[in-house]
Amino acid sequence: MGERARQALPSVLSVLLSLVVCWLLIALTRDADGFTTATAAYLQMLWGGIGDWPTFLGGSPVAVLTRPIGEAAMKAALLTLTGLSVAVAFKVGLFNIGAQGQMLLGALAAAVVGSHVELPALLHIPAALLGAALAGAAWAGIAAALRLYRGVHEVISTIMLNWVALRLVDNWLVVGPLRGVAQAGASITGTAEIHASAALPRLLGDVSRLNLGFPLAMLAAVAVWLWLERTRTGFETRAVGLGDEAARAAGIPVARRAGLAMALAGALAGSAGAVLVLGTEGRYPGTLGAPYGFDGIAISLIGNNHPLGVALAALFFGAIRAGGTRMQLLDVHKSFPELIQGLALLFVAGRLIWLSVLRRRRAPAPVLSAPTAPTPEAPHA
Amino acid sequence: MSLDIHAGELLAVVGENGAGKSSLMNVLYGLYHPDSGEVSVEGRPERFRSPRDAIDRGIGMVHQHFMLVPTLTVAENVVLGREPTRWGRLDMERAVREVADTCARFGFTLDPRARVDALTVGSQQKVEIVKALHRGARVLVLDEPTAVLTPQEADELARVMKDLVRAGRTVVLISHKLKEVLGVADRIAVMRRGRLVTEVRAADTTADQLAALMVGDAPRAATDEPAPVAQAPGEVLVEAKALHALGDNHCPALRGVDLTVRAGEVVGIAGVDGNGQRELAEVLTGLRRLTSGGGTLLGGPLARLTPAVARERGVGHVPEDRLRRAVVKALSVEENVALGRHTKPPFAKGPWIDFAGRRERTRELLAAYDVRPPEPTLVLQALSGGNQQKVVVARELDAKPRLLVVVQPTRGLDIGAVAQVHARLREARRQGTGVVLVSLDLEEVLALADRVYVLFEGRVTGEFTRPDYDERELGRRMLGAERAHG
Repeated sequence: MGERARQALPSVLSVLLSLVVCWLLIALTRDADGFTTATAAYLQMLWGGIGDWPTFLGGSPVAVLTRPIGEAAMKAALLTLTGLSVAVAFKVGLFNIGAQGQMLLGALAAAVVGSHVELPALLHIPAALLGAALAGAAWAGIAAALRLYRGVHEVISTIMLNWVALRLVDNWLVVGPLRGVAQAGASITGTAEIHASAALPRLLGDVSRLNLGFPLAMLAAVAVWLWLERTRTGFETRAVGLGDEAARAAGIPVARRAGLAMALAGALAGSAGAVLVLGTEGRYPGTLGAPYGFDGIAISLIGNNHPLGVALAALFFGAIRAGGTRMQLLDVHKSFPELIQGLALLFVAGRLIWLSVLRRRRAPAPVLSAPTAPTPEAPHA
Repeated sequence: MSLDIHAGELLAVVGENGAGKSSLMNVLYGLYHPDSGEVSVEGRPERFRSPRDAIDRGIGMVHQHFMLVPTLTVAENVVLGREPTRWGRLDMERAVREVADTCARFGFTLDPRARVDALTVGSQQKVEIVKALHRGARVLVLDEPTAVLTPQEADELARVMKDLVRAGRTVVLISHKLKEVLGVADRIAVMRRGRLVTEVRAADTTADQLAALMVGDAPRAATDEPAPVAQAPGEVLVEAKALHALGDNHCPALRGVDLTVRAGEVVGIAGVDGNGQRELAEVLTGLRRLTSGGGTLLGGPLARLTPAVARERGVGHVPEDRLRRAVVKALSVEENVALGRHTKPPFAKGPWIDFAGRRERTRELLAAYDVRPPEPTLVLQALSGGNQQKVVVARELDAKPRLLVVVQPTRGLDIGAVAQVHARLREARRQGTGVVLVSLDLEEVLALADRVYVLFEGRVTGEFTRPDYDERELGRRMLGAERAHG
């Protein structure tokens, strides 16, 4: 088995195990027909995530496919961006708990640029995205600066900055200075509606909410991966994360790499806010409740902090979380997908246990066995 | 391979880096599982699934890198994992009592209530030994125990080992320091390339015979290397004046050091550990700020030097703390070969990593320096310590440095690797590199250096030029005797 597959296996097994556990939970908490209900609920979750193929093949309009797919894709896009945010910070050795706050700031910036600036669409969308990225980066930059210049641990500062962001944005700016002007006597909550030129174009027609944000998020995952694995600065970033003293001795500007990685993390989380506002909400609503920033931590860990792993995990959990609402048809609570995600995170945290179990089942792990003699068939990935 | 260990003996296992000594002992300790063959204890075949099984059968191990929690006390560390409890609560008083008993029984003088991070390295090692004994170890395996010790501490350890054997315990000593092995062991097992070559009684052999057995048919002289060929020193590379710098503990570590290094000479820095040698090397490589003083280094100011600027000017560095400073152990061998030069060809093409160029150069270097296994994609920590050091030396010399600062370059290496590192340093000198060699091993300094500065408490207390090396005078200077000297 390749090294890459070996690294991914604990995550895959954790997700499968959590699916089984949740299935049992549903089945065993029913009065009757538990296993049938659980299986049916899982099927509904599946159709809600990848489109209702049975109905479609039965002759229903294509909307039964595009609508669920759109919901799943947009959830996946947001999870990808916040997951990448956490993963990038991880790579440089920092734990970014602050993706939520960075996302709020990014959402607000996107809403402001989207509604207060007038530009042609070709420029308006990039401008709004850039504004969101910069706002998220600046918010993360506070934590980075506190860490690098004052030694404040980033876990503490990013958690606190989440609360500051929430109060600042939801409790003051959005209800105060930036509140949208009510039109025609109707009172609205949140900021003013964004201009049509700033809205992310929909890709599967109006019935599906799938928009440009999804391909952009996937592109971001590939770009982050290329940057980390293929470029000099990405290499420096990883080296700092894995051994900062050695990186310093090698002449790598450790503080700059850490600061830039944290800023990039903030920019990615901020972009998630932009995708939410420019793609689905159309404005900064009265309150941006969705905790995608915190989900990003779980997605990053389940994705093994690998950019492509993050995208895969986000696609999976985006799909089952979009499909979760359909479980209600069978009286199963829609929060089960979140439970699945939580359990998967719990199981992934036991990664070392997985690895040792897997190692015992096979020949001694090649990478960790000590080189004793010159082995001609030197093992490698 | 087969090996018998007899009760109540002091067996030494010697061999070069990568000969399989540590692997053998890890099998014995349950960390690795044998592909075939078995381990028997007192005639009963055993299958150790983990170190716990080995401990239960009376085998204790003291690793080269201590497995202690620095913020806990001696007693807490010793009982860790099997703490005495009363009503389900930790009974620390009993722990202290028990540990004190164990110490007394084997003649250790340790305060069970002292915090481990306040102890010297030698005492920490004793804590490791007490820990193993406290868990009922009858066979004690010590992996390269003296690599981290001062000579006095090593003597003390030898005494402890002999006492343990006298008390009926069995000691297995893994080492490649032949003199030390001959001094304490009853029996010596020699390993080479994963095989047991021979077993000899310590009384019946000599260091030369052992060395020949260890390296095999190709005898490599390590102990009596030829003196460096005289060559005219070249241009001045470093002209340092009145260097002052603080140590990690924020106390002055360098207190007015003057130093000159020329092209094509090896400048040795001798001294007892902790007299400013490490800080001096860090100043020359840009890792430590000067508080005052300065001068020039490779055509630029020495003050406010950074590691990046130092590398740019042509400074190479083989640091003392390999795993912390020289390599990133979780990166691959080839990534570590690129580290520090990763922005230049053949390691980079513009902003991109040049994977093919990096692979090719790594393969060349691994072959040239005989790194085993020669596998560029292997994660670095899978190499043995000696092979890791070869990777570091290969990388630094491959950059063709004008000034090379090496600190303890052969600590923990076997004879073959030491000879190779020394040969490479001589080669660098011959090609005009100025080498600053910091070593606690006076023999090493005297064998290689053209000139030696003796440091004591952050000051130069003597400067000697080949061939006027008076070892007794050098020793006096290392202990602080000062005299105007030319």
